Amino acid sequence: MFGRRFAYSLLFSALMVGTAHVQVAQAQVKVGVVTSSTGPIALVGIPQKNSVPLLPTTVAGKSVQYITLDDASDPTATVSAFKKLITEEKVDAIIGPSGSPNAMGVIQFAAEAGVPMLAPVGTAAVVLPMNDQKKWVFKTTQNDDLIAAALIEHMAKTGITSVGFVGTADPYGDNWLKVFSEQAAKQNIKVVASERFQRQDTSLTAQSLKIIAANPQAVLIAAPGSSSVLPQTTLVDQGFRGKFYQTHGAALPDFLKLGGRKVEGTILAASLMLVLDQVGDNHPSKKVASDYVAAYEKANGSKPATFGANVFDAGLLLERAIPVALKSGEPGSPAFRSALRDALEQVKELPATQGVYNLTPADHSGFDERGRELITVSKGTWTLVK
Amino acid sequence: MRIASLSPHARIFLVLVPLLALLPLVLPTYQVTLANNIGIFALATLGIVLLTGIGGMTSFGQAAFVGISAYSTAYLAIGTDLPAQLGWLGGSPWGGLLLGMVLTLAVAALLGALTLRLSGHYLPLGTIAWGLSLFYLFGNLEFLGGHTGLSGMPALRLFGISLDRAESLYYLIWALVLLAVVVTLNLLDSREGRAIRALRGGQRMSESMGVNTFRAKMVAFLVSAGFAALAGWLYAYTQRFVSPAPFSLQAGIDFMFMALIGGVGQVWGALIGATAVTFLKQWLQDWLPHILGRTGNFESIVFGLLIVVLMQRMPGGIAGWLARHLGHARKLAPSAQPAPTPVEPLPRRALPAKGEAILEVRGVTKRFGGLVANNDISFDVHAGEILAVIGPNGAGKSTLFNQLSCVDRPTSGEIRFRGRRIDGRTAREMAGAGLSRTFQHVKLLPTMSVLENAAIGAHLRGGKGVAAAALRLDRREEARLLDEARRQLGRVGLGQHLHAEAGSLALGQQRILEIARALCADPCLLLLDEPAAGLRHLEKQALAELLKRLRAEGMAIVLVEHDMDFVMGLVDRVFVMEFGEQIAEGVPETIQTNPAVLEAYLGGVE
Amino acid sequence: MNLQIVMLLGQDGVTNGAIYALLALSILLVFTVTRILLIPQGEFVSFAALTMAAMQSGTPVRMGWLLVALALAAVALDLYDAARGKGRWRPRGAALAMLAYAAAVTALTGLVPLDKAGVAVQALLTVALVVPLGPLLYRVFYQPIAAAHSLVLLIVSIAVHVVLVGAGLLMFGPEGARTEPFSEEGLSIGMVTLNSQTLWVVAVSLLLIVLLYAFFERTLYGKALRAAAVNRLGAELVGISPEIAGKASFGLAALIGGLSGILIAPITTIYFDSGFIISLKGFVGAIIGGMASYPVAALGALFIGQAESFSTFWASSYKEVIVFTLILPVLLWRSLSHKGAEDEE
Repeated sequence: MFGRRFAYSLLFSALMVGTAHVQVAQAQVKVGVVTSSTGPIALVGIPQKNSVPLLPTTVAGKSVQYITLDDASDPTATVSAFKKLITEEKVDAIIGPSGSPNAMGVIQFAAEAGVPMLAPVGTAAVVLPMNDQKKWVFKTTQNDDLIAAALIEHMAKTGITSVGFVGTADPYGDNWLKVFSEQAAKQNIKVVASERFQRQDTSLTAQSLKIIAANPQAVLIAAPGSSSVLPQTTLVDQGFRGKFYQTHGAALPDFLKLGGRKVEGTILAASLMLVLDQVGDNHPSKKVASDYVAAYEKANGSKPATFGANVFDAGLLLERAIPVALKSGEPGSPAFRSALRDALEQVKELPATQGVYNLTPADHSGFDERGRELITVSKGTWTLVK
Repeated sequence: MRIASLSPHARIFLVLVPLLALLPLVLPTYQVTLANNIGIFALATLGIVLLTGIGGMTSFGQAAFVGISAYSTAYLAIGTDLPAQLGWLGGSPWGGLLLGMVLTLAVAALLGALTLRLSGHYLPLGTIAWGLSLFYLFGNLEFLGGHTGLSGMPALRLFGISLDRAESLYYLIWALVLLAVVVTLNLLDSREGRAIRALRGGQRMSESMGVNTFRAKMVAFLVSAGFAALAGWLYAYTQRFVSPAPFSLQAGIDFMFMALIGGVGQVWGALIGATAVTFLKQWLQDWLPHILGRTGNFESIVFGLLIVVLMQRMPGGIAGWLARHLGHARKLAPSAQPAPTPVEPLPRRALPAKGEAILEVRGVTKRFGGLVANNDISFDVHAGEILAVIGPNGAGKSTLFNQLSCVDRPTSGEIRFRGRRIDGRTAREMAGAGLSRTFQHVKLLPTMSVLENAAIGAHLRGGKGVAAAALRLDRREEARLLDEARRQLGRVGLGQHLHAEAGSLALGQQRILEIARALCADPCLLLLDEPAAGLRHLEKQALAELLKRLRAEGMAIVLVEHDMDFVMGLVDRVFVMEFGEQIAEGVPETIQTNPAVLEAYLGGVE
Repeated sequence: MNLQIVMLLGQDGVTNGAIYALLALSILLVFTVTRILLIPQGEFVSFAALTMAAMQSGTPVRMGWLLVALALAAVALDLYDAARGKGRWRPRGAALAMLAYAAAVTALTGLVPLDKAGVAVQALLTVALVVPLGPLLYRVFYQPIAAAHSLVLLIVSIAVHVVLVGAGLLMFGPEGARTEPFSEEGLSIGMVTLNSQTLWVVAVSLLLIVLLYAFFERTLYGKALRAAAVNRLGAELVGISPEIAGKASFGLAALIGGLSGILIAPITTIYFDSGFIISLKGFVGAIIGGMASYPVAALGALFIGQAESFSTFWASSYKEVIVFTLILPVLLWRSLSHKGAEDEE
């Protein structure tokens, strides 16, 4: 019984391999997608996975096939998934993975194989400092320092000189603490307290007491997804009446739902997706972002978190670069992949859901201030700060 | 024809080694990468097989051990900001291996010292807690790269050869895996290995045979952690990047699942399990979307359910199933080699002179709360004498027996063995002094061979340790130990059953096997707890003959027995108890007519 | 660190400690009756919290589907046992009744607009959804191997936990949720304001502990369960089957876990995988109690709550490291006071 089933699966695998070769012969463009749709960072990976069906399926007359793999938030599995996509599926580019450590672990393998990698991850370390390996990596999220600069500018303008920091004990919090402390120092803003927490923590009383004891004028909370809410509500409950700043990690509908009245007045910098109806029609990203949100909502019944949009943007980048690369080689060939990388590096003024990409050999993230809006919560809705 | 004479393990090697050597030549890179992962997982899982399947202990901390070693390796290999005292290790892969091994073993020793004496639940719970805290610790230590991890590791270079490609690492990984398998097989097929294998269900028994069970547990735990450390070293060089996530508790659980699916009772189960789980994950990812129509999310559910079904229906895992269905269950377990050339017998203890007092019991009283189980018991046993302790049910015989064998200590009074006080000492200490025993409820290791069961009795007559066993430097001593076991088994009449599983013997034979095991310890006092129970008439006669011969050699024997016919025809003196009191003592003839004894047994003849 | 901070941290520690204590008690109860270390205890907490949150936000409550699936599995297992001659030739009434119940509750949650129903109704429905999970888990996963080695039971526990977390992700999604507080007002004592939810947690926990005590000391059924914990064979001889004892203890565990979930849902954000870490702290309490003593386990759990609260204040990044390392001295003390090798039966 076991033996027969085993034989069947072998046979089937052989057939699958066979068909894969046929597809290569058709010379369609193959793009691998690796997300963490299970495990601890599933909240990042799931909207990303859900965005894959919205990616362009035909570019310059070539059909684009997407092969989605889940790495279950495990960096070892990410490496395996990348190698599978590279050597088995012979993909032309890879979008992913979801987590920063996962991305750090696969850069060398993508570079070794010469496959462009579009990483929708937070940490700038995947593209900075630029080197021979990282030149294969493109980062489709705003660098944290871009967002931080907007927040710090607002702080400086409103006369805030002392800030308490609350961040998750994960790469997101690590990176924000680093970026924010560096930039704040330049503006003479002091980080008077810095506290960390786990996403699953049931109580943040101790952290907020410590923040309050340091008596800052404002608090910056750096946490991805709905974990950004609890620090703020706890601080409000403990009687903190200063200003709250949030990062683009909080830019999702659940933030308002979970926070309720206690997140009123929060300032955050994020892409325009939250305030689409308020930005002017002349904003280059308005149309593409509205279309994406509508399509996502139609397919999944809920509004997307920005993590999903980062994957969608990767698709837009490819859409722009593939026609250029096709001039240099057929999909599936090293020449095509290398040309694709070069073409990605040359993308200029590409409006996407998060902002406008202007990539250069030195800057593989490529957002300018059009990639962030200063937003506040007013009467329970996201409101553009004018 | 020579192949037929090889052990099953050797035959597996004969097939596996060329196969493994050829694989990277035919497989695409991705499959070689998978094979590398499988090898690393198999190493860590082998540790679990040794610990859980063979030693009966459960640990979910294996991934954390892998992590300590992987982080040590990466930290030293990157070597940018090493503290001065570690500077000499920087950049060298050997330094990483050394540091990883030392740290892992130190942590394992500490954790083992804290939990291995306790009941079986504390180790898994302890390792869960420790696996979690280590995960958080990795993420919080700045010099280990925090939550983002350590990247930029150079490729592995050994003896001037660069192992930077999956194909070249493959040979190193699998050579180490096979080496670990050989070491494990060697270890299990040795004196220390028998002690480890006896941990599962035979701890009280092996303590009375002189085995330090705590030490045996520690050995298994440390060896298993050592394999994890080796796996961590390889992991760091294969991924060339380390971050906390692969060493989380979840990964520790995954290693346990691999061992269970592969077959936790068999060394090869580790390889099978690592392979099966890795491919299963691939397949589930490829197939579940086709079956269930959505991508992702279902794997962990399917996996968990699979483990539940496996535990309910096939607890032996794949290796256990294979072994059963190929009829190799017994042979796949490490078993003794056939009798080699004659060996020099083990040295024997100088037996005391006939008539010397071996055991002196003076005023022994045992109370359990208000109940007096033994009241002021006194008697002597001499070399070359058989004493029977008899009495109706509830007379306190078992309580007395437990005190004589140092399982229990008297409330008051004293017990002397060859002039030394022994009450309050442990059963293990007494095994070394020449006191050996059997159990009322037979305590054998049913899946081990008769020969190996008996050889446990000779544990203290050998001295070779773990390293010697792993490297096969113990063969001369091992041959002598097995020869002794073979001799004693022949003596009790089990010479025909040396390689049968002990569990397959009839109850009577099992009792006899217990006596052979006790004799292997070369005792001068033998304590037998109802040795004739369950024996057929002829077997009883043979047992009586054996005991008479031992007596003639100068052995002192105490037996607790119900069978009057057996006792009266055999023993020199009878000691009768009722309600915890001594009611008579003397030669069988006078006891048989003693009115108090008749009263006790027949319930008041009036 | 002034007195006010100490009071606030203490209050926080008591709130969490009370929940850990409840879980520690329930873990001990299940362990003594069935020898099972109930690793999935935490999933009762998170499932209850997320179910309640789903009701309040008006999103579909999918918990019922899990019940229906498990009840179907239970019926199938009954049929399978019957076919193999181990039971009567028809699904037992209990399993069918459970299936009908699961279907009914599921239909109810699907049809009634729960977001307007009020906290009491929502809580009641949540309990009605979570409690049957206990006996169903026992029937489907543990009963077939009730006699197995306790380490096998532990491994099945881990596997069940893995399955439930996977199911939780499917049912509730990856984002966290929290519920409305039961009441807004706090209670001022001197300079410290006691959070109303803290009072709820402490009051309900105390009430539950008293009820549990009364149940085990005063009622026949409770005494029977205790008897089953002491002597399984003896209990069976007087008519308490290990199956019933197992299902009852799992039912109680689900009730305790579910209530804990409802209690903490308003004060924190709960995720599909939050349960594990919460229940592990209950386990640490149970370990302090030597896996045997209820009062010591409860005190141990309260201590863990305090230790967590204060260690977070001193070094928030190292909180988990400190809390889980705390069991080392406990293990050391147990190890030193322990002697002799014993075989597990």
